[in-house]
Amino acid sequence: MAFITSFIESVLVYTTVYTLASLGILISGRTGIFNVAGEGIMLASASAGFLAAFLSGSWLIGFLAGALMGAFFGLILAFVHETFKVNQFILGICLVIFGSGLSDLLYKLVIGVRLSAPIAPDTLRITIPFLSKVPIISGFLNHDVIVYFMYAATFTAWWFFYRTKIGLETRAIGENPKAADVVGINVSRRRYLATIIGSSLIGIAGAYLTIAITKTYSPDISAGRGFMAVGIAIFASWKPQRAILGGFIFAFIEVMSFQLQIISDKIPYQFFLMLPFISILVIMVVFKKHIEFPASVGKPYSRE
Amino acid sequence: MTQKNKAYSLILNNLIIYGIAIILALGVISIFVAILGYNVWDALRTLLTTSFKSSFGFSETIKKAIPLLFATYAFTIPFMIKFFNIGGWGQMLFGGTMTVVVGLTLGPLGLPAIIMIPLLLLVGIVSGGVFALVAGFLKAKYNINPIISTIMLNFIAYQFVNFIATSDAFKDPLEGHPITQKLSESSLMGFFGEIPASIIVAFIAIIFVYLVMKRTRLGFEITSVGQNLIASQTYGINFSKTIMVAFFIGGALAGIGGSLEVINIHGKLIEGFAKTSGAQFGIFGVLTSLVVAGNPLAVPFAAFFMSVLLVGADSLQRTMQVPVEVVFLSQAIIVMFVVIIREKYGKGNK
Repeated sequence: MAFITSFIESVLVYTTVYTLASLGILISGRTGIFNVAGEGIMLASASAGFLAAFLSGSWLIGFLAGALMGAFFGLILAFVHETFKVNQFILGICLVIFGSGLSDLLYKLVIGVRLSAPIAPDTLRITIPFLSKVPIISGFLNHDVIVYFMYAATFTAWWFFYRTKIGLETRAIGENPKAADVVGINVSRRRYLATIIGSSLIGIAGAYLTIAITKTYSPDISAGRGFMAVGIAIFASWKPQRAILGGFIFAFIEVMSFQLQIISDKIPYQFFLMLPFISILVIMVVFKKHIEFPASVGKPYSRE
Repeated sequence: MTQKNKAYSLILNNLIIYGIAIILALGVISIFVAILGYNVWDALRTLLTTSFKSSFGFSETIKKAIPLLFATYAFTIPFMIKFFNIGGWGQMLFGGTMTVVVGLTLGPLGLPAIIMIPLLLLVGIVSGGVFALVAGFLKAKYNINPIISTIMLNFIAYQFVNFIATSDAFKDPLEGHPITQKLSESSLMGFFGEIPASIIVAFIAIIFVYLVMKRTRLGFEITSVGQNLIASQTYGINFSKTIMVAFFIGGALAGIGGSLEVINIHGKLIEGFAKTSGAQFGIFGVLTSLVVAGNPLAVPFAAFFMSVLLVGADSLQRTMQVPVEVVFLSQAIIVMFVVIIREKYGKGNK
């Protein structure tokens, strides 16, 4: 029982990363901006967030810095795309490369080379009086504040898209920007907002890697999770409630492959490390019939 | 305007774009170098002249330009039909790994170099191509975005390299890192002075790509699918097939690049090889290709210019302690600018 509880606990940690990042991707995707820069945003925010937390001694400032870095990337993406109608995928790839260069550069400039790695301050933990003691359930609840933030963000995104008028309008932009424009919705402004908000969520996911999980920075720390998040957003058909499910599934696979790697000596460990990357492809193949895209995602829109 | 005038104006337009791109490139790098507090003039001089100052600098440039050429083609060919192969690195890794597997397995037979080297290159071509074909197939049959699938395949290939390099059959027992035993002498390509012999293969590849794209039905199909999908489908071109063929050719070219790295540079398989200046060749290939808007005929020149910058960046790090990331990061910004300029002012190559 204790094993299952602690297993769930570690799965939840990675669920937070995947879910926040894929929420960020699907929010802008709903307005037609396909943000494939997740990996670059996570890397840059992981670095910026860690540095801010380490220097200020406050986890909160760290996460804010991560979100801010994400917002900055979102602003570039939205600005260049909306102003010049540059292909979103090309932009996204440039931003991935930009982010991975920026993350190492920032760290080198601020910290340089040290014998002992600097350690981030502890993130505030929240325990719920009675439930955090119940086995299994406590795996979901005995966590730092960002995990609860992830629950809240998922719920809010679902509520926004499916229970509010603005949310419905925002989804309409993703399906048919021209029609949305005709009824008086400011398409470009919504795209800016969604991309910036979404990218800051990705930024928080990136900062979570360094501030809460590893507590220190190392190069290429997101290790492809930014791209996995894009896959999860697609698997989720751009629906928040499915993003958290997808996030949980892939976190489960990731943690499981770590555990199996230790237990098993028959199968070479490299195959367990491949498992998350193989399974995302397999899941996309298997769920092909259940995957939908917003009709305008990836396409520029200009009034003409 | 006559046909000839049109062609001239297109060339002029491109020259202006590349001129602006080079000026922007140097400008962006200068700004970063200045912000970080280094001497801008010295930095620019180091960046541009290191390749031509010594024979060492020049041979280093060629050594980087060859894998970069193949990595750039790997992105370029699928990009001609508007798909993104970010998996050039994975295809290089897979091609190189299979080359080592075959090379070490056949090593004891003592086949002569004239058989071994073409055979090993063929292994690189086929395995790189098949590895990329997975992404092409997933796109054609399951509509999975190649950006996602090729990235995932990169990670899979990386682990596969480690698996081979640590397996009992191939590993070097004296090494702590995942590294295989050395290939036999007849599997290795030599050097002309300091220039790697793989430059011959690179020239053959350049001619091959030119001929396929400009002189064959296949090249015509790829070009027309890229320019107008609906028209080309009406004409009877099978879109799914074209996707898969384009990915196969791209991956095959990356595969040769991986093979050449192994049999000409390292002589064995090393964990996560095919890297330079702090990043893998696949990423630099993407950047290089985007600079020339995925025009396969311009790729050799762009790859050479890019490796001049890379060699300069390495030297900048050694002599002036400018972090190599500065150049890497600037390149991403430069590509973004070039793409914007082309979108706004470019003719005929949107």
